[in-house]
Amino acid sequence: MGRGRDEAHPGELTSVAVGSVGIAVAARQPLRVRVRELLDREWFLGPLFITPALILLVLLVAYPFGMALYFSVSNAFIGRPSHLVGFRNFINLWQSDAFRQTFQNAFVFTGTAVAFKLVLGISLALLLNQQLWFKRLIRGAVLLPWVIPTALSTLGWWWMFNSLYSVVNWTGIALGIMDPPGPNWLGQKYYAMTAVVAVNVWRGLPFFAITILAGLVSIPRELYEAAETDGAGPWSRFWWVTLPMLRPVLTIVVLFSTIFTFSDFNIVYVLTHGGPINSTHLFATLSRQIGLESGRIGEGAAISLYLFPVLAFVVYAQLRFVRKQNY
Amino acid sequence: MHVTRRRFLTSTGTGFAAVLATGIPPARGQQREISYLCWSNFAPASDKKLAEIGQRFTKDTGIKIRIDHIASAQQAAKHASEVQTQAGHDLVEMRMETPWLYEPQLVDVSDVVGELEKKYGKAISSAHEGAYVKGVWRAVPQYHQIFSAAYREDLFKKAGLKVPDTWEDLYPVGKELKKMGNPVGIPISQNWDSISTAYAVLWNFGAREVDKDGKTVVINSAETAAAVEWYKKMYRDCMEPEVLSWNDQSNNESLQQGKAGWIHNPISAYIVARNRKLVTADGINHHRSLGGPGGRHEIDVPRSMGIWKFSKNVEASKEWMRYLLGKKEVYDEYIMSGDAFNLPSYTNLHDHPVLKTDAKFANLRGEGVSYHIYGWPAPPSDKNQLITNSFILPNMIAKAVTGTPTKEAIAWAEAEMKRILAS
Repeated sequence: MGRGRDEAHPGELTSVAVGSVGIAVAARQPLRVRVRELLDREWFLGPLFITPALILLVLLVAYPFGMALYFSVSNAFIGRPSHLVGFRNFINLWQSDAFRQTFQNAFVFTGTAVAFKLVLGISLALLLNQQLWFKRLIRGAVLLPWVIPTALSTLGWWWMFNSLYSVVNWTGIALGIMDPPGPNWLGQKYYAMTAVVAVNVWRGLPFFAITILAGLVSIPRELYEAAETDGAGPWSRFWWVTLPMLRPVLTIVVLFSTIFTFSDFNIVYVLTHGGPINSTHLFATLSRQIGLESGRIGEGAAISLYLFPVLAFVVYAQLRFVRKQNY
Repeated sequence: MHVTRRRFLTSTGTGFAAVLATGIPPARGQQREISYLCWSNFAPASDKKLAEIGQRFTKDTGIKIRIDHIASAQQAAKHASEVQTQAGHDLVEMRMETPWLYEPQLVDVSDVVGELEKKYGKAISSAHEGAYVKGVWRAVPQYHQIFSAAYREDLFKKAGLKVPDTWEDLYPVGKELKKMGNPVGIPISQNWDSISTAYAVLWNFGAREVDKDGKTVVINSAETAAAVEWYKKMYRDCMEPEVLSWNDQSNNESLQQGKAGWIHNPISAYIVARNRKLVTADGINHHRSLGGPGGRHEIDVPRSMGIWKFSKNVEASKEWMRYLLGKKEVYDEYIMSGDAFNLPSYTNLHDHPVLKTDAKFANLRGEGVSYHIYGWPAPPSDKNQLITNSFILPNMIAKAVTGTPTKEAIAWAEAEMKRILAS
């Protein structure tokens, strides 16, 4: 603005400059006020705050999800034109032995891992809730498995289960509880599933323990005191006070964990690559094998979305349950 | 020189107007730039050499080149995402039959391959199978990694064992090796090495998965049964159950750490042992992959270089191909840096000087060898690739060696293959 005025009236520089300052101040004042007023209004401020997150969600979650939905009902092949085929992918998948095995694996893996994480998570949280020496240090250390990148920590587990160097077997043999050469952890169906579940439990336990601990800390002491006055022992206090009070937290933790465990990828990919004979394949690993390595993204998307309706219903039911709890 | 504002505006404005009027960018903007995505080679020195050659290429041609490396396991996902988004690198290095998967997305490079074949002789059979798609070269054969037998020559000599020539010969040798505590190490799991060896065994027993037409499943045969029976007795008498859990590194490590007495692998197992000065290195030697009643067909891992169709620098990319592979001295230098892990892909270069750099490479010369890629003799269509990638072959063998009757295991594989071809 200033330069334009310079060119128009080169001889009146000083007076114009003073004038322009005056104009600028006069014009800025109402704008600031107007903005402030605008920010005071909920209809404007609310969407303003939500917009960045919404843009991110649309770009990074909704759009890929929409694409996945489309792919799953099309014969999409990487880099080639595709057309819709309805639910054919979902129906054809059921004829595949590898897929049926994967379907079964997913439930065994998730069911076992979440059950172990729940029981061990509650136990660990109760332990961490006690007055322990180095309490903070221990609480911090418990989180470590959750903080280390999974691919990296799983590689460590791979060494521990490795047929040549297995420290698990070495220890077992040294202690006399295993016969040499010890179990073939990643080469036999049930051992391999045990191994991948064990690593998943190891990794997911801190999430359970710390979240449940937060729930435990928030239970009012008076409830325990009242129960003790009524003559309740430790088991009764746990069963009738702790557990009911933890239920909303447990529901949320189990819900999240179920979804994460169903969609686990790294552990199986690094440890077993889905083997032996597809006995540890999960939806995500099989989906990669078919969708990316073999180019059939339509079928790959169908595999990863196979359980979407079931999981969506579980999420809906659990969230409804939590809302009813009025906690 | 003092530049006034007026002078600056006049000169830049005129320049900009000139660019707009003529449509020709200034000299600086004209510098062409290409990008090249390749795997992190298991022979790392060859990646360093590639970078060095890239710098010389820029100096000689004025074309800038950016070379990126990713782990082999990530290549499939990266290729897929570049094709889906139609953005990324100009050139890509591809493993085995990948050019078939991306055929519609790859530029015809038959002209470059024609020039190279004129100079170095025909591309080897496996390179041809992998990159020559329906009458068009979709990628330029770059180098290949052979599967040879790596064995503990010191143990063989000690026990008076004869170097095997056929897979059947390996059985008595393997029995002795296992007794000595140095079993044979052939993985039977969901990894690439398992597939590679399984194909080699299958072919040399005269069996095939899918016929030449790419449509007829022929796995259910007496020859396949013979191959499976061979695996069963090898598993029982010459190997340990650990092979069911192995990944691609495991057989290398087993040989390097002094356990396995014989493995079937690219020569990286020896190179690593030698470079890390492991005690086993001196005792390791190589012999050619084995034959059988069905002939002598060897599994091979050819790698080739393709140009995405979405690239805006096709000609500059071809210049890089011609520079790296078409100049004999540069190609030689590149191959020499790879310690015989990367061998040239053209028939007249079989007797390459790299094979004389170590006495342990002497048996790796490939004249007259019938090299093939996964799925041969069927053309590597996407359905045939899915058969390979689904680990049906190693899983059929794994089922058989762990108790499923041979017939049943083969019938299972046949049903799975038929289902994929019909889909």
